[in-house]
Amino acid sequence: MTRGLKTVGYLASLGLAVAIWDGLIRCGLANADLLPGPGAVFKSLVEQATTAEFRADLWETLFRSVLGLVIGAAVAVPLGVVMALSPAARGFFEPLVKASYSLPKISLIPLLILWFGIGTTTNVIAVVLSTLLPVLVYTYHGVESVPKVLLWSANAMGTGPREMVWRVRIPAALPSILIGIRVGLGLSFVIAIAAEMIASNRGIGKLIFVYGESGAYAPMFAAVTAVVIAAATIDIAFLRMSDYVLRWSDSHAVKR
Amino acid sequence: MVRIMTSVNSVASLYPLVLLAMCWELVARSGLVPPIFLPAFSHVIAGLWEQFFSGDFTWPVLTSLYRAAIGFAIAMIVGVVVGFAMARWTVVNLLFEPLIAAGFPAPKIALLPIFILWFGIDNVSKILLVAFVCVFPFIVAAHGSAMMVSRAQIWAAEAMNTSHLALFWNVIFPASLPSLMSGIRVAIPHALVATFAAEMIAGGGGLGGELVYAQRFFETTKVFEILLIMLMLGYVMDVAFLRLRSHVLRWHDQNDVTE
Repeated sequence: MTRGLKTVGYLASLGLAVAIWDGLIRCGLANADLLPGPGAVFKSLVEQATTAEFRADLWETLFRSVLGLVIGAAVAVPLGVVMALSPAARGFFEPLVKASYSLPKISLIPLLILWFGIGTTTNVIAVVLSTLLPVLVYTYHGVESVPKVLLWSANAMGTGPREMVWRVRIPAALPSILIGIRVGLGLSFVIAIAAEMIASNRGIGKLIFVYGESGAYAPMFAAVTAVVIAAATIDIAFLRMSDYVLRWSDSHAVKR
Repeated sequence: MVRIMTSVNSVASLYPLVLLAMCWELVARSGLVPPIFLPAFSHVIAGLWEQFFSGDFTWPVLTSLYRAAIGFAIAMIVGVVVGFAMARWTVVNLLFEPLIAAGFPAPKIALLPIFILWFGIDNVSKILLVAFVCVFPFIVAAHGSAMMVSRAQIWAAEAMNTSHLALFWNVIFPASLPSLMSGIRVAIPHALVATFAAEMIAGGGGLGGELVYAQRFFETTKVFEILLIMLMLGYVMDVAFLRLRSHVLRWHDQNDVTE
């Protein structure tokens, strides 16, 4: 199937889902108080999108999650590379990673609130801590499992140890690193929004919660829709960027 | 002798954890950080030991596990059915693929207020949130693994006049079990995260609820105790799952190769 046809199919399917949603309410099968129709939600979304407050809240959440992800990746990628290259570093960090891996990092939010109070610091640190491990593990496995053939041929061509890391191992591990960052991207939104719902004074998570508690359901659905659209857009943008960065990689081309 | 040596080595390799615990203890004891921010490691362990015998944490642990398990089970049934149907019928695939593409990256936790509105603030909304979070990895795993079942096996079954249901149950399900198991392993932490998050946001007991109460009343020792319990729960479940998997898949020839 060509790309254009696929897009048409996607839009048709999503359109059908919206039509069913609308039909449920029009036929009285769903209570419009509990499930506002797509028209009402869309109207509310357009109304809110024009207010500065709403945009500031959405922006705040996106800023927190992206900043946290960038810091997390900036720590995790070098650490993963070092762990894959040096047995001593691996021996030191591996038990720490294994021990902390099974803790749902979202549970650290109350502790971070105790330490740093409510606000951006707590939020960003929570995102950093939860994106760190997935990126680290993917980077480590990527650098670790570079095909031997690549290393041998580089060796045969007289590649020095530094070039081996920069020009062979890291590029070969790039597909894996980017998958790790994409996993982290998904997590970063969840954590940022959850942290805002648990305790915050700003952000879209807070806004959704306030709407829910005050019974403003159409705006609540609109805000949730905005979050879903934002997350999907960023995910697609990241995929496109990965495709572009990895356009030279044959293993990546096969997978897609 | 060799076995003793390797087990000595594997204990010795845990030195960073001991180092971490010692640093924690030293910093807490030195008075650099007040205990309300960082209670000593030994106090946390002692507290955990006490709570273990007094049974204060038994009910929260069971509540959280109950919510996670029911949500997980719903997700597994729905996810496997939808995933297999997508692999079998192109129409189903066309209908569901865009919805999954839109739903997978969405931060599902944002839907919690909607679930509370529909299903109340008690158990049902939390269980359904867990199910909604876990259903996506299950659909993707079931779809992917059913697509990889060899055509020859399906043709052979069809040639023997196997019914649809029997085809799913006797051929596609067992053949896709190995990669389904990987999907389950991905979904377990998701289930725990969703449960704890829902409990922290909406209250209603469970480990997440207890954690937020402990934080609000500045019972930092209790916060650390609960975090350690959550860590152990996640670890025990992963180890138990790996055991279960190697038991279930003992007939599978790749079983020894994958971890």
